[in-house]
Amino acid sequence: MTEHQLTFDASMHSADAIQRAAYRLSDRLSCDLVAEGDTLRCTLHLPPESGDVPSVVADFRNEVLDQTLRERIRNETQEVRNLILALAFSNTGLVDASES
Amino acid sequence: MSKFQAPEAFSPSSASWKLLPFRFERLNSHVLLTNMVGERVAVSESDFAQIADDGLPADSELVRRLRAAQIIMQPDEKAPLELLALKTRTRYRTLPESTGLHIFVVSLRCEHACPYCQVSRQSSDTDRFDMSTETARRALDLTFRSPSQSLKIEFQGGEPLLNFPLIREIVVEAERRNAQLGRDLSFVIATNLALLTDEVLDFCADHDIYISTSLDGPAELHNKNRPRPGRDSWERAVDGIRRVREALGADRVAALMTTTARSLDRVSDIVDCYVEQGLTEIFLRPLSPYGFAVKTKAYSAYGTDRWLAFYEEGLNYILELNRKGVGLTERFAAIILKKMLTNEVPRYVDLVSPSGIGIGALVYNYDGDVYASDEGRMLAEMGDETFRLGNVHTASYADIMLSDSLLQPLEESFAASAPMCSDCAFEPYCGSDPVYHYATTGDFVGRKPLSGFCRRNMGVFKLLIDKYETDPHARAVFLDWAGR
Repeated sequence: MTEHQLTFDASMHSADAIQRAAYRLSDRLSCDLVAEGDTLRCTLHLPPESGDVPSVVADFRNEVLDQTLRERIRNETQEVRNLILALAFSNTGLVDASES
Repeated sequence: MSKFQAPEAFSPSSASWKLLPFRFERLNSHVLLTNMVGERVAVSESDFAQIADDGLPADSELVRRLRAAQIIMQPDEKAPLELLALKTRTRYRTLPESTGLHIFVVSLRCEHACPYCQVSRQSSDTDRFDMSTETARRALDLTFRSPSQSLKIEFQGGEPLLNFPLIREIVVEAERRNAQLGRDLSFVIATNLALLTDEVLDFCADHDIYISTSLDGPAELHNKNRPRPGRDSWERAVDGIRRVREALGADRVAALMTTTARSLDRVSDIVDCYVEQGLTEIFLRPLSPYGFAVKTKAYSAYGTDRWLAFYEEGLNYILELNRKGVGLTERFAAIILKKMLTNEVPRYVDLVSPSGIGIGALVYNYDGDVYASDEGRMLAEMGDETFRLGNVHTASYADIMLSDSLLQPLEESFAASAPMCSDCAFEPYCGSDPVYHYATTGDFVGRKPLSGFCRRNMGVFKLLIDKYETDPHARAVFLDWAGR
């Protein structure tokens, strides 16, 4: 098992984004995440069958970036998403008016 | 004064674009963006960077594509919200209409001895594994309790023709009940055709019954996969297909193939066999982790990546045949393309979310036990009754549809809230399949990075999108398949 340490600036990345990235790559690595002041310290554990270590670590970094972007899109669009779902299911009979 | 405003009136007023909910996935040559209902736009990495950096101009070809797909909008617009709401409602419109497919296991007996059998059939020398008339009538009571206007009754086994007298009774009784109810009632017999008789054909003709059969490819491959006394399974199957086509019509029979380790290097032979038999559809299916397929290790004989290579080779060959004028549809691709390219919702229970268990299909086993899906029944034959919802002799419709055995896996596996699925650009095309994940991991959700279901579906989605975006011939064929 190979270990690799990464640190992320907590003001730029959330623990949630890093955890989501680790989950996506959980067929190739496992991860310990520790909050230390303004940083998030991430220890990646890579089994021998993971393949080329630098390449897996690069994939993880890129995935953290993508997850951070996904988080931003989710946050920016959450309100409008709820509005669309409310519009979609109003007057369908699927939601009991007496419950709301 | 013109009745129409000048084009400039429709131009965006500023470059202040607002994002609408969308998901993205990086593919080999581009980034795929899907909106809330799965409408997609493929963009280059540099175009995607513009979106991510809030750098979109007031107008450009990219802006128009993103706007058309309701991925961005102007802050003061209302139409994109209303359109997305309408499309979301359309996507889920069939949900209140559960359950459309009712599977009657009229006998677990079978005269075949297939090592990959996923239902753990029984030998055919005893009627202990046949459904009784009383059980069938109670199952029909439940069938007609379903709110769905469209009801399909499918006879399965074992080999259902071993209990053909009961099939006759069920069809006649269902038609009698439906005379007053007026549902769209249809029947399918899933049979290996080895026991097909003129009596069966006449009855199918009189009652408009559709035949679904198994054809694994050329004779030697099929007969090795599907042994029976006389080693003539293939000969009986192709003779049966011919007779059904002649008696009922060419469109009244379809065949399914199952991929075994022996099939992997022979996909073009398998496809050629379907064309030679005059079939216009083929379904390139992997083995599932149930029944004898697990006991005999047939299921573990090849991995998902090997099946994907087999599938890609088969799809390329089918596209080449279409280029030469041979009209053959690959069914799995057609189902996915219908979801990608139209607003239709195919009722294929493996590719829906919420899962199709119970609300898409119910299974009445020969002994009256009711299961949430055919795979749930297969699991029960292996001794695990997790997906047993009750028994037709003791449970009411409400007992069955509100049982924890149904609601818990439905709720837990809902893809829009499952880990990784909730962020996945392919989620609108995919399903949740709690039975597969339970069978392979012990829970209804599974860990998606390790899931063969996820890997297989993602592989096929990427393949289809890549071909659609880069190959004009494949695009034309795919549009044709999606429209069927």
